[in-house]
Amino acid sequence: MEEQPQMQAADEPADSGEEGGAGGPPQVAGAQAARSEDRMTLLLRLRAQTKQQLLEYKSMIDANEEKTPEQIMQEKQIEAKIEDLENEIEEVKISFEIKKLALDRMRLSAALKKNLEKISTQSSVLMDNMKHLLELNKLIMKSQQESWDLEEKLLDIRKKRLQLKQASESKLLEIQTEKNKQKIDLDSMENSDRIKIIRQNLQMEIKITTIIQHVFQNLILGSKVNWAEDPALKEIVLQLEKNVDMMTRAEGTATI
Amino acid sequence: MSVLRPLDKLPSLNTATILLVGTEDALLQQLADSMLKEDCASELKVHLAKSLPLPSSVNRPRIDLIVFVVNLHSKYSLQNTEESLRHVDASFFLGKVCFLATGAGRESHCSIHRHTVVKLAHTYQSPLLYCDLEVEGFRATMAQRLVRMLQICAGHVPGVSALNLLSLLRSSEGPSLEDL
Repeated sequence: MEEQPQMQAADEPADSGEEGGAGGPPQVAGAQAARSEDRMTLLLRLRAQTKQQLLEYKSMIDANEEKTPEQIMQEKQIEAKIEDLENEIEEVKISFEIKKLALDRMRLSAALKKNLEKISTQSSVLMDNMKHLLELNKLIMKSQQESWDLEEKLLDIRKKRLQLKQASESKLLEIQTEKNKQKIDLDSMENSDRIKIIRQNLQMEIKITTIIQHVFQNLILGSKVNWAEDPALKEIVLQLEKNVDMMTRAEGTATI
Repeated sequence: MSVLRPLDKLPSLNTATILLVGTEDALLQQLADSMLKEDCASELKVHLAKSLPLPSSVNRPRIDLIVFVVNLHSKYSLQNTEESLRHVDASFFLGKVCFLATGAGRESHCSIHRHTVVKLAHTYQSPLLYCDLEVEGFRATMAQRLVRMLQICAGHVPGVSALNLLSLLRSSEGPSLEDL
């Protein structure tokens, strides 16, 4: 889907000059002079544009005339080649820029030398420009410093994050090994002989205690005493069984 | 035409055309308005499109710069962009294509990771710009930048070509550094 193209004519003087329908009669003369000047600038601008566009088309034609290599290169090789070519271009551009800079500086110093007498240090366009330049440079340096600081902070935070990650990794590893050790210990303890012997002893003692309790109970029952009235006797007959039961139940859960 | 070619038409005098491709109509419209408000010595033409290929029935001038607007909040926008990229000729990517990622300001709404867009831009060797198109100030700045880029890509700035600009905008940080 495409929407309607929108046109906007900017740069009023040039375009109004183009159309030629300016204000009333008294202004025509002055306006015409201005318009012809603007026409000149417009023409010069169009000339520069056309030159640039012609250069683009020419370079595209030259590029298309180059024979592409027939062999199929791997993607990595192509990328490496592209990087090399780009580096070459960068180097040429840099050297060109440096030479241009040197030339500009020479021209500037020559012009300054010529006009040195005419320049008053209080008020001149040159001084204003230079002051403005200094301000802008200060601003640039400040912004660069700020962005550098922010990048540093970002880097620090990334480092800290990495450190934290590593620390947490090692901690988790430690926890794992500890848990494993514990499990192994528990298993070994379960199967150790000492525990078996202790358990056997415990079982023996419990059996003896049960037998003794039964003897007491049978004694009391056999003596035909009314044990329900005496709380002490009642306790012996009823509670002892409970104790034994609880101990055997506890023993059962321990073995499980 | 199914494939956009950069130099198949002759340029019209003093005119620069930009094509904005993106799924968010409102954002594109706002960006187009901001761009047209900019002071520019040449005539600007802004075309908006939801996706490529463009219908061949319309007679349109030579397109100088394509900007793919990717909204980091919606995966559909990225999908749409990837599909549209197939309809662009390879010679366009020599500096006449630009990616614009919007919506990075609201991190919680982002469903596309930054790496994805960075990798996309790196694959197509084109510059990637970030801008929150919903904020008026950022939009105006981005419009200025785009107008300047458009002028260069259309050949209206003597001494600077699109390829030149591309190598200037190339960032040294590739996506491989981020894949930690």
